[in-house]
Amino acid sequence: MNLVVNGDAEAGPGGNVEPVASVTGWAVTQGAPALIGYDIGGGYPSPADPGPARRGSRFFSGGNSPRTALVQDVRLPRHGRTGRRAVDQCAVRFTAAAWLGGYAGQQDGARFSVEFRDAHGTPLALAVLGPVAAGERENRTGLVERTSTGTVPPRSRTARLLLVFTRSGGGTSNDGYADALSLTLTHHRGGRA
Amino acid sequence: MNLNRRDLLKAAAAAGALNVVWPLSAGLSPAQAREAAEALGADYDPAPFTLGVASGDPQPHSVVLWTRLAPEPLAAEQKLPEIVEVHWVVAQDRELRRVVASGTVAASATLGHSVHVPVHGLRPGRHYWYGFRALGKRSRVGRTKTAPTGRVSKVRFAAANCQAFHDGFYAAHRGIARENVDFVMHLGDYIYEHGPVGGDHVRDHNAPEVLTLADYRVRHALYKGDASLREAHAAHPWFLTWDDHEVVNDYSGTGGGAPFMQRRAAAYQAWYEHMPHRDAGNSALPDPEIHRLRRWGDLLELTILDLRSYRSAQNLPDGTILGAQQKEWLGRGLGNAGDAWHCWANSIMLSQLRGRPGGGYMFTDQWDGFLTERKEVLTRVHDAGLEDLVVITGDWHSAFVDDIRPDYDDTSSPVIGTEFTAHSVTSGAYSAEWNKTNGPLMGAANPHLQYFEGNRYGYDIHEVTPKRWSTHMRVIADRRDPVAPVTTLTTFHVDRGTAGAYEDKGTKGSAAQYRRDR
Repeated sequence: MNLVVNGDAEAGPGGNVEPVASVTGWAVTQGAPALIGYDIGGGYPSPADPGPARRGSRFFSGGNSPRTALVQDVRLPRHGRTGRRAVDQCAVRFTAAAWLGGYAGQQDGARFSVEFRDAHGTPLALAVLGPVAAGERENRTGLVERTSTGTVPPRSRTARLLLVFTRSGGGTSNDGYADALSLTLTHHRGGRA
Repeated sequence: MNLNRRDLLKAAAAAGALNVVWPLSAGLSPAQAREAAEALGADYDPAPFTLGVASGDPQPHSVVLWTRLAPEPLAAEQKLPEIVEVHWVVAQDRELRRVVASGTVAASATLGHSVHVPVHGLRPGRHYWYGFRALGKRSRVGRTKTAPTGRVSKVRFAAANCQAFHDGFYAAHRGIARENVDFVMHLGDYIYEHGPVGGDHVRDHNAPEVLTLADYRVRHALYKGDASLREAHAAHPWFLTWDDHEVVNDYSGTGGGAPFMQRRAAAYQAWYEHMPHRDAGNSALPDPEIHRLRRWGDLLELTILDLRSYRSAQNLPDGTILGAQQKEWLGRGLGNAGDAWHCWANSIMLSQLRGRPGGGYMFTDQWDGFLTERKEVLTRVHDAGLEDLVVITGDWHSAFVDDIRPDYDDTSSPVIGTEFTAHSVTSGAYSAEWNKTNGPLMGAANPHLQYFEGNRYGYDIHEVTPKRWSTHMRVIADRRDPVAPVTTLTTFHVDRGTAGAYEDKGTKGSAAQYRRDR
């Protein structure tokens, strides 16, 4: 199960290039993102450009701010095969995944990170995806997939998700793009260190 | 492969430069690199706690404990399980018998097997000792101290900055470790990012310019190969800020393209992994939140600034060195300031600095590149009626004492505080000849400049009482000597309630390249 709420940018206001003040599931901590439709045209990623196979109708972008940041706190499952007992036995692995990109040869970018925290908020593990440089997407408008896996450290209780869009150079549009953000947990027969 | 110091030094002599045989330059494995590093004077604590222990961000009931498991400190990847359980203990005695807190924390490969333990429930104003245990081994024992509460008659702390590994040994940190201080404030340039410098240096960087997370991890580990740095960390709790070289020279934290943002994130993460930094709450890695306000009883309010993460480019009409949110936070603090000494930990020079009369600013990477914001902030300080402001600064590799004025070009603008810019731990300053020539020129060009001395290296000790702030410039005899003795070059005082510093009569005759008040 994907623990990210609205990681596909499909919920809440948006649909065009206008920045929005709030995003379902996320706290906007800096700037203002735009949740843009793949059908908007104008050089933005389209259904034909590289991106997730099941991309829905919208993706995240950085809006018009030089830096736009969104935060989401995820409470890890209390019970079950990926619950606290399993986490504390080093028996839960995470996979963080995101499709990240930008516009043509520009170096605007999007970064998605997952910080696992204990009950007091202290970081215990970190996965950082992106930003994807223009060369990594062959200077082509679109999004490419990035993933990271690891063991959820014992005593992890929450995960803080941070989605950051950065604009390089001039212009007004922050063309860091993101879609299909996910965080999944799986049980495995891991050995305690 | 067995390397010994004699062979290495012989090879160095043959090559004409020590850096030619410095670790990894000949494609050594991490283990061989460590062996070579140790043969050339670096050393590490026993594995896996090779990088030592540290504590930081002391508060009345809490400090953060730090260590990192790195059996092969110069390896990009450690041969360790993905998760290693690390046990920690805090006690009232150095033998760790009278235990007051203990626990277990997971060291994850995703954070370089570093651990950060915020210990709570401690008593204010007390020394504690701590240690770690993992993989059947014990770390060295560190000592820390909590912040006091209520009425405080004295605080004594060290401020250090700019410790280029290749420019010398850390005799200054050896001195700090032996000082009777409550805490250490590091003002940045903890590491340098560039490759080997060559030439006549006591040691050198072991790899080309660092760019990736693995690179930055190895660079931090190299710097912690100086025993005096580890000793200073183990002796006192540290507060921390950073300057540019933790990432790259003169960078702006905003506005870069994706390749730079990848690099910045790697550098920030590696910094976090190697520092006793408390990160939680509203921030999230890989963007640690540095700026914070800390109190030492009723005597000192320490405002730690981050002048890198949020700054714009230099020399813009609407440029910012603080960023909007930090500036707003700083302004709120001015309004809520208590009756105490107000100290800003400021990585890079606040005061205006022209190179010669009628000349331009020497460096616009410092606050001189953010004129509108500096004037706005200092005018707010004045308008708020904030008294007893002392700004402590690094970056310049030389000592300055400046009056702080809201408008540096207007000599009728009131003096609202003092800035002490400290000598560097090791990072190279200008030549003695340059200092001799330019000290008086800078003095003539900057009426607010009281003092300049650029021929020495060391750190500052700030000794603060309810009546007086005293800054002792502690200098080492020789950067090339790891056990160089420490002496006090001079001392400046600021009296409570009176803006402006004056030099101690007993040291006013010491060497300097400029003094305004003779």
